[in-house]
Amino acid sequence: MTGFTQRLLKRETHSSRAPLSVAAAILVSLLAVYCLLEALLRAFGQPEWLVDPLTAADRLSRLPAGIPAVLLGSIGVLAFLLGLVFLAHAVLPGRRARHVMADPRVVVVVDDEVIASALARCARVAAGVTREQVVVVVSAASVQVNVRPTSGIGIDGGRIQAAVDSEVAAMGLDPVPTVAVHLASTGVIGV
Amino acid sequence: MNGTPRGFNRFLLGLLGLVLLVLGAAVVALAAVPAAGSWWQGWSAPQLESLRALAARTRLSPTMGSWIWVLAAACLLVVVIVMVAWIANQGKGRTGILLERAGSAEDDGAAGKVVLSCAVAEQALKSALSERTDLASASVSSWNFRGQASLRVRVLPRQGVAPHEVAGDIGALVESLDRLLGVQVPVLVSIGSGARSRFTKAERVR
Repeated sequence: MTGFTQRLLKRETHSSRAPLSVAAAILVSLLAVYCLLEALLRAFGQPEWLVDPLTAADRLSRLPAGIPAVLLGSIGVLAFLLGLVFLAHAVLPGRRARHVMADPRVVVVVDDEVIASALARCARVAAGVTREQVVVVVSAASVQVNVRPTSGIGIDGGRIQAAVDSEVAAMGLDPVPTVAVHLASTGVIGV
Repeated sequence: MNGTPRGFNRFLLGLLGLVLLVLGAAVVALAAVPAAGSWWQGWSAPQLESLRALAARTRLSPTMGSWIWVLAAACLLVVVIVMVAWIANQGKGRTGILLERAGSAEDDGAAGKVVLSCAVAEQALKSALSERTDLASASVSSWNFRGQASLRVRVLPRQGVAPHEVAGDIGALVESLDRLLGVQVPVLVSIGSGARSRFTKAERVR
């Protein structure tokens, strides 16, 4: 696999952080535009719009006084939490729920949801049940197939396992997930 | 595969996060710890006085304010420009030219240039994919990824369609496109699920 392909796959399987970046940029620029307005009004000797920069600095310098402690504390906690969210977005890897599929010519990425729906169809055919009786959960390293049998009709867990295993092998996913089949102990009627 | 500056996104988000964390912690300390409040007042009062004195000393004319406000405004303008540039850089990188090859008189007898538009590949793939009934939708776009024109094929299969079969068929389509064009373009196939494929009925007969 070439470096080009690897870069491409890394970008496709990880989040770009674009929405939060745009939100942060809008927030910062709104704040900066407001401060710009007040600074220019002051520079040209015009009356201030909301608060004069020097008055604001004066209020800031006398801070615990002049504002209820609870309000000040909650503003601080809010800023702290917002900072935590931004920092977490910057530091965490941000993997998307996608798998890479092997192909000789093209680079393929598949959403986990598509894999789950294909495996659910495969398990449903192997078990001979309806759509509503199969739930498949796909995560990076595991596939969980939950089947609720029809009441009074036994189903073969081994057959479902073999069918789903061969389907996963045919997909050639990376990372390779392990398949676990769970048969519910209670059945459903009227399907 | 767009040109979103991911490293820069993370750097600026981290910087903003750190600033907000420190500010928030300091404000909470001001509100909760009396000693922090008195230290802050003791430290900031002389600073404020010197700022006032500076503003009075650097007054431009009797009717106008100090030039330090003009300086502050210039710095804020730079911040706004950086923020607008940051937003404008998200998600860019579309391209319209798939291939550009200059010919020379020694090479094939004619000096000139061959330019292949991306629409050729996009429309060929899209029309081939739109005939399939197992795909709820298909779209093809071209991007400039690290100086190389690349195609991105996004398909939304209906529920229960095996993704490796879709990928194999698209691979075969792309190979025939390679033969048609005479060049191999990098192709990314992204198989996803949208609201349209989620709420339509599963295909029962193929």
